[in-house]
Amino acid sequence: MKNNILILPSIIFFLILSIFLYLLVIDRNPSEIPSNLLNRNAPIFEAKSLFKNEKFISANEFKGEIILVNFFATWCKPCRDEHVYIQRFSDEKDLKIIGINYKDNNKKTIKWLKDLGNPYENVLIDKNGKIAIDWGVYGIPETFIINSNGIIKYRNVGPITNKIYKKINLIINKNE
Amino acid sequence: MTIFLGNLFLLLCLIFSISQFFTSQKKSRFRFIAINVNGLLICSFLSFALLIYSYVISDFSVLNVFENSHTTKPLLYKISGVWGNHEGSLLLWILVLTIFNYFIFKLYNDNNSNFITKTLQVQGLITAGFLLFTILTSNPFQRTVSEQSNGMGFNPILQDPALAIHPPLLYIGYVGFSAAFSMSVATLFLNGDQKIPWYNYMKPFVLTAWTFLTAGIALGSIWAYYELGWGGWWFWDPVENASFMPWLIGTALLHSLIVVEKRKSLMAWVLLLAILAFLLSVIGTFLVRSGILTSVHTFALDPSRGVYILIFTALLGGYSLILFGKKSKNYFDSNYFALFSKEGSILINNVLMIVVCATVFLGTIYPLIIEAFINKKISVGEPYFNSTTIPIIIPAILVMGVGPILAWNKDKKGKIFKKILPSILLTIIMTTLIFSFYQSYNFIGMIGIILGFWIISNNIILLIKKNRNYSKGMLIAHLGIGLLILGITGSSNWQEEKITRLKVNKSTQINEYNIIFKEINEIKGPNYVAIEGNFMVYDKNKNYITNLKPENRYYPITKTFTTEASIHTNLSRDLYLVLGEGNLTDGWVVKVYHNPLVIWIWIGALIIFTGGIVSTSNNLRKIKI
Repeated sequence: MKNNILILPSIIFFLILSIFLYLLVIDRNPSEIPSNLLNRNAPIFEAKSLFKNEKFISANEFKGEIILVNFFATWCKPCRDEHVYIQRFSDEKDLKIIGINYKDNNKKTIKWLKDLGNPYENVLIDKNGKIAIDWGVYGIPETFIINSNGIIKYRNVGPITNKIYKKINLIINKNE
Repeated sequence: MTIFLGNLFLLLCLIFSISQFFTSQKKSRFRFIAINVNGLLICSFLSFALLIYSYVISDFSVLNVFENSHTTKPLLYKISGVWGNHEGSLLLWILVLTIFNYFIFKLYNDNNSNFITKTLQVQGLITAGFLLFTILTSNPFQRTVSEQSNGMGFNPILQDPALAIHPPLLYIGYVGFSAAFSMSVATLFLNGDQKIPWYNYMKPFVLTAWTFLTAGIALGSIWAYYELGWGGWWFWDPVENASFMPWLIGTALLHSLIVVEKRKSLMAWVLLLAILAFLLSVIGTFLVRSGILTSVHTFALDPSRGVYILIFTALLGGYSLILFGKKSKNYFDSNYFALFSKEGSILINNVLMIVVCATVFLGTIYPLIIEAFINKKISVGEPYFNSTTIPIIIPAILVMGVGPILAWNKDKKGKIFKKILPSILLTIIMTTLIFSFYQSYNFIGMIGIILGFWIISNNIILLIKKNRNYSKGMLIAHLGIGLLILGITGSSNWQEEKITRLKVNKSTQINEYNIIFKEINEIKGPNYVAIEGNFMVYDKNKNYITNLKPENRYYPITKTFTTEASIHTNLSRDLYLVLGEGNLTDGWVVKVYHNPLVIWIWIGALIIFTGGIVSTSNNLRKIKI
């Protein structure tokens, strides 16, 4: 009897750990931070483009099609890691991908995109991080999905992983 | 070069720790163990020093420096920035671990060789685990991808002297429990091979850990109070709970160790508590660092880290708890505990501490459990924690007042009353005095004040008597707890809050004070710009008391806004003023708090810390370090 009681702490311990493990492996994304922007209109802004001469005016662009907005920088390692997924979206999906280059150097960004490939239809420059503030960006990389009515349907803080890639695909399909 | 050296030192640390694990299996290899222990200490010190150096000279080729520092940052915060982020803080954790490792090694002699080597073996394993974690998932020595002229800056809210030393103190606490953990595992493993007073070795480590953990938690609260501008100092945030739980277990452990020492009783219980205290520290780290819970402390989110810590915790906990299940029966005894005895009161308080800890634990992980089972997000907050923990803590405090006065084994009931009579009288006198000044009645508040004075009078009387039977450190620490209770009761039960919109030259009233909004100015600090309000405070007799100057700062580098509360403190209350948003035409939102007795929380904590230090040094003398 006594022996059974003594093993109790380890049983409780493993029960608790299995809950933690379950939470870690299920399709739960702690970086899906509930955003005030979710299901609202995307913030309106204007920005210079890295490659194009004309100014980017969000009110003219965020309508009529699904848009993926990705905040990135060349100095950010996770951005490099997720780049392959952004590229896959660009290759496989019919959607517009806008990159917002956060607090970065233009020359470095051009070289970076040349080396890794450029999945972005337009790269906007956010030199002092003001656009990021408007979007409530938590830390880069960060990715938003905007539907054809200009409404934010999804937000992910942190790099896109395989799991998140699939999730975003589902959301895109649902909004198509 | 820095990157290369840093990684080299980390790798050497890993080699030394693994080698320590293997060599300490045989006691004949004393010299090898010595090399490993010293090597580990030196290499972890060097890698830590190297990171500090990179921060001081702002070497942005190191990714960690680039992400968390900036050239305009004051030197103190450049240095504290080292442990203000996930990777750097792990390096600090490892440094503290190797320092404790060294002190354990210093205890080695011919009589305790088996015990110490076994302890060092477990420590080697723990150290290797944390090193692997650092190197694989959180390496502070990574190169910045492209060349950078300046850093990303450091969250200005963390640029605070209290917060600069908060993590080191906390880590001494957490890591100190690792020593108790290893000693517990060693004791269980050796199964009474040598008759070693393992509890005497464990006690100074537990005392050190507990003392510093207390100080660390207190500093965290001070920071929250001054910096967050929410008017309070404890929010039952998951991270606060993560530090509070090991503290509760540590408190139980500390007191049970005394019973083991004096009566050779409760041994199995102590062994279990020693394991739990450290496991809870690690689980707390897991909760915070894995991003599984979101809180103000959330570090960079990376799921792979969570999996790693979980596996590590499972290994540590699984091994130690199963070992406990198998071997602890040899450490049980059938001693009889009288209710009215010192050990009886310690046992009661032990049970109460464990219940509080379990309650806090449940409240902390309850949202996770709910999410796991019914996929719904909920949050558990202050109402739950206050209404569940306070009723358990109240009897614990009552017992805490009587416990030290009682004799070991058994005390006569009549004698007890005679012993506590002076402190009962003193409590009544002090409580009456307070309430004749403070005429504010509220049931919980009244109980809190009475309990606070109860503890204070008990310990003051014992301190004055200079009875050699009592440990001075204990009395001082208990006195501190009494003061802490006063502060907590005052600030939580009689806090007054007023939120209003004020134009310049208008005034507002709180408690007996009249506060006039004189002017608002723009000022410039070393790395921020701010607007600063100027408020003049008068009491009810129109005597000038002070000027309060709250600020709203903007740090252009990190693009963050912070509010700096302005606080006027005296022994009976704090006046706490926060400036909100506003403009010249509509006025500014102003939050004013009247927080009675807050200063006694900090004074209490400082006295507890002092008591802990006194006790630690007395206990160190016993084992002759």
